[in-house]
Amino acid sequence: MMSAPDQNHPVNTDNSDENTTHFGFQTVDKNEKESKVASVFHSVAQQYDIMNDLMSFGVHRLWKRFTIDASGVRPGNKVLDLAGGTGDLTAKFSQLVGREGKVILADINSSMLNVGRDKLRDRGLVQNIEYVQANAQYLPFEDNTFDIITIAFGLRNVTDKDMALRSMYRVLKPGGRLLVLEFSKPEHELVNKAYDFYSFNILPKMGELVAKDGDSYQYLAESIRMHPDQETLKTMMDSAGFEQTSFKNLTGGVVALHKGYKF
Amino acid sequence: MFAQALSATLETLINQFLRYNLHGTRALKPLSGKTLTVKLAELPWPLSFTISHEKVHVTSSEEHYHCCLITSISTLFELNKNQQLTDLIKNDQLDIQGDLKVAQRFAEIAQTLDIDWQSELAKRIGDIPTYQLGQLGRQLRDKLNFAAKQIQADAGEWLVHEKRMIVTAAELDSFSLEVEQVEQQASALQQRLEQLINQASKPS
Repeated sequence: MMSAPDQNHPVNTDNSDENTTHFGFQTVDKNEKESKVASVFHSVAQQYDIMNDLMSFGVHRLWKRFTIDASGVRPGNKVLDLAGGTGDLTAKFSQLVGREGKVILADINSSMLNVGRDKLRDRGLVQNIEYVQANAQYLPFEDNTFDIITIAFGLRNVTDKDMALRSMYRVLKPGGRLLVLEFSKPEHELVNKAYDFYSFNILPKMGELVAKDGDSYQYLAESIRMHPDQETLKTMMDSAGFEQTSFKNLTGGVVALHKGYKF
Repeated sequence: MFAQALSATLETLINQFLRYNLHGTRALKPLSGKTLTVKLAELPWPLSFTISHEKVHVTSSEEHYHCCLITSISTLFELNKNQQLTDLIKNDQLDIQGDLKVAQRFAEIAQTLDIDWQSELAKRIGDIPTYQLGQLGRQLRDKLNFAAKQIQADAGEWLVHEKRMIVTAAELDSFSLEVEQVEQQASALQQRLEQLINQASKPS
């Protein structure tokens, strides 16, 4: 069992250089990360929704609702749900944009996309949803295409986050907004310690029991610690060109919603 | 995130009610794509109700709406009385922005909800338990009504006869009658006095 980061692993220390990046606490070659992340999500795709409910005690549904509320979505909007996985946000957006609107569910991982597509079709949501297998760093869309882009619990798995943010900025329409929902750094030290204990001791065991894959959930805990904190991510969004960037901590900073506009 | 928890709960409840509605969800069709936002004085966030895919979606966003009601919970219950609408607006108890017809259509749907609870319950627990539960419910309601009446009567007796804190309606009527008689006598006396003063002031 890997110990908590404050003991043996410095939190969010980026040891990566131009050719390497981090995969959890490991430093790996940039070309290698994509396939490693892919294997994690191929492995957990079928149990992804149930594990989300178990791991967050269902609170992830409220975090996603908060994102929808903050998006200001309206009928006729064109929305890109990036790293949309099993389509929780897409389902709601699809119903709110109406027949005139469109939602693109994009994910780099085919297994996640398949699970998402099956789930949404089973719920009868077919009219205004398109599915695209895409890498967030190289979005296959024309400039100024979307009114809203969301990426929920996906950015930390992207190899080059700056490049991905620039790519999102490019495909966003002027006046459009990006919402990044992602695990972050808890505001209070006590919460941080409890969260560390939960992430490194309980979470991988739950993964082992339910999804029969403790290693993937070990990676999840590590990748959260290596993800930029609230202020750093805000600065990264500023650098990518976004304006009026802001963030809102949810559940004491366990998760943060970052928002930025393109004008 | 209380706002999201509340909107999620409301959304689930409303859609469950609609699912059990005897008229189905057909009534929602004309409102498809429409959003009604309600800002209540008691809540620090708005509640927006959007109809789509024959479902009601509840959010706490106010960026886009067709009609917005700014009011309080107590005023909300008076809104079904059409004649009071103008008074409520005049008294600053209600402010309407946007298309009033959208709010009226939402209200109509709420008023036409018709749910056969017994048949819904029977589907889940069976006919006989539903019948027995219904009987039990009715007996319980009768007993509660009887108990409420009894408590009311006993409390009245105690207040009127033992504590003498309030008077009965008959006592109040009798008192009012006596006051009226005193008033009439005083009036007659006043008239008599005025006559005497007039007579005394006349030169003989």
